[in-house]
Amino acid sequence: MIGFDVTGFILSWLVFFSIYSILSISLNLETGLTGMANFGKVAFYALGAYFTGYVSIEFFLRLHGLDYPIYSTDAIVALGKLSVEQPSLNLSVFLLTLVGSFLFAGVIGFLIMLPALRVGPAFFGITVLSFGEMLRIFLRHYKPVGATYGLVGIPHPLAWVGGTFSKDLGFALISLSLLAITYIYAQRITNSPLGRLLKAIRDDETATLYLGKNVPLVKGKVLFIGSGMAGVAGCLYAYYLGSITPNAFMPAVTFEVWAMMLLGGVGNNRGSILGAAIITFLDRSTAALNFLFPNLIIDPNFIRWMLVGVIIVVVLLFKPEGIIKEEYVWTPAWRLLEAKAEARRKAFKELIGRLIKRR
Amino acid sequence: MLTPVELVNTVWIGSVYFISAAGLTLSYRVTRILNFAYTNIITLGAYLAVILTLNGTGNLLVLIPIVFVAGSLLAMGMHYFVFSRLISLKATPLMLMASSIGIWIFLKYVYYGIVGYLQRAWKVGLYQATPNLNLDWGLKAYGMEFSGAFVASIALAAAVILSLYLFLTKTKMGKALRAVADNPSLAEVSGIPSDRVMYVTWFIAGGLASLSGLMWALFSIVTPEVGDNLILEIFAVSVIGGLYSIPLTALGAYVISGAENLLMPILHDTIGLEVSFRPFIAFFTLLVVILIKPPLGAAGALPYRFRLRRKGR
Repeated sequence: MIGFDVTGFILSWLVFFSIYSILSISLNLETGLTGMANFGKVAFYALGAYFTGYVSIEFFLRLHGLDYPIYSTDAIVALGKLSVEQPSLNLSVFLLTLVGSFLFAGVIGFLIMLPALRVGPAFFGITVLSFGEMLRIFLRHYKPVGATYGLVGIPHPLAWVGGTFSKDLGFALISLSLLAITYIYAQRITNSPLGRLLKAIRDDETATLYLGKNVPLVKGKVLFIGSGMAGVAGCLYAYYLGSITPNAFMPAVTFEVWAMMLLGGVGNNRGSILGAAIITFLDRSTAALNFLFPNLIIDPNFIRWMLVGVIIVVVLLFKPEGIIKEEYVWTPAWRLLEAKAEARRKAFKELIGRLIKRR
Repeated sequence: MLTPVELVNTVWIGSVYFISAAGLTLSYRVTRILNFAYTNIITLGAYLAVILTLNGTGNLLVLIPIVFVAGSLLAMGMHYFVFSRLISLKATPLMLMASSIGIWIFLKYVYYGIVGYLQRAWKVGLYQATPNLNLDWGLKAYGMEFSGAFVASIALAAAVILSLYLFLTKTKMGKALRAVADNPSLAEVSGIPSDRVMYVTWFIAGGLASLSGLMWALFSIVTPEVGDNLILEIFAVSVIGGLYSIPLTALGAYVISGAENLLMPILHDTIGLEVSFRPFIAFFTLLVVILIKPPLGAAGALPYRFRLRRKGR
């Protein structure tokens, strides 16, 4: 048996935990808060990843005046050399692709709103699901992005740092800080007037429409934000692995994110993070299992996906609210009312106390 | 150039789409559950055809009832173990869809596991297989010879559709089923046992899906992802029918199959579109239908439907 690298396991788990948490928070915004059945999360994840991979490779090659085709040995060798030369270039390309993948995936998500405006949840689910599958087929057969081979040799933003450990640690910290930003942002949305409007749309779309709210526009906004977040997750994924293939973006990935959201608690951002932590840990453990026991009867990958299906069904049947229940929205008005009610309760107690004393 | 082969394929694949989409439409209308795990039932039918005919040639007439009942049992099992319980918990349609997705992904990898295990245990190639059936005869007509598999598929499709029509229009249970589809509360008030109607619906829908898997196995290679590869076309066909009307579903089935088999070679010859982009036709049809004629009924979003109608008048 080869030695098992515990620190490496934890660092890779941290990166995957951040990526999947960002995905499940974005799904929670769309599905948990707004009630849109987004079965195509993986499409926006893939868009972010491919945007990142393509732009960063092109940038590195063309900036140095090399015109190798994207999937060639020369290009990969050149990228390996170039990526350790200029730290400032690496970091600026990283920032550029981070913002770019947010906007790219977000705008395409916004355009998906067009059919979403006209159809109910069932049809929206079908459309988005098939959009994801179409995108995968397209990427598999489209030569300029490497077809079945995908993109290889994406320059790591921290490639210039010496040593694998410090590089991985740095990337894990970057991912965790992006997760923190996403979480704070999502939490701000949830507790804002927009968040309350989203919950209103989820609970009764017709009533919200007749209150004079522009429901299609709000849905489009949420799809923009959610898809953009998924694009950021894809960006991190592409940089972390350094190579992406179309088959990494199977529809099953979407359902894994669904399982995270349902397990943690629908409509609750902390729940989404908790669900992501649990499922990515199981996922990484099955990967480790694969590594430790190579001769299992059933492929551990199959067990992992079966587990995802079982989690979805079991959570829906036995604990539909998830591990953490949906919370109140703490608006300023609520706080004021709560303080007033507290004062009133106190006064009432005092009154009772006085009455008892008098007797 | 168009060849008779493409015409035959159009009719053949169109029938597969029609049978499976009819089951999906029927189950959606009656139970109001969009069952994504429907694809698993198609795969089950296709694989049963392969596994039951593994040693020696099988008889299609024996295979049909077995496949039908197996698919029905799977669909009824889904309803018994998951959907009926969720409905009694008052789950939203969104959560029902999510649960069907859970079943879908679970069963898909269970199939992968079973097929992989059987392949190793029996030492036969099962990941890409075809059934052995007594269909090597041909039928000569119009100066062409039709293969036995084609004739059998078409006959099967016609028989299935005829019996579905007779069931829905002539029998008491069929009428009850349509009543529940049109107005569940009224049907319940009139004394129709809607619980039993649900099971009957899943029995029929599961059987149809399973049979369409069998028909696909007659046409092409069977893999553990047969149903998943067909899902897009089937949903596109159902959307053309608005997840509502079965005759429109038939139209959609042949339109999509025709576009895939007749239009694709033309596009390939004229603008050099690659044949691997074939599924895009179904997807674009789906988008165009949704954009031009948004589906009404339970599947459409109510507020916008209202707005569109007022604009039209």
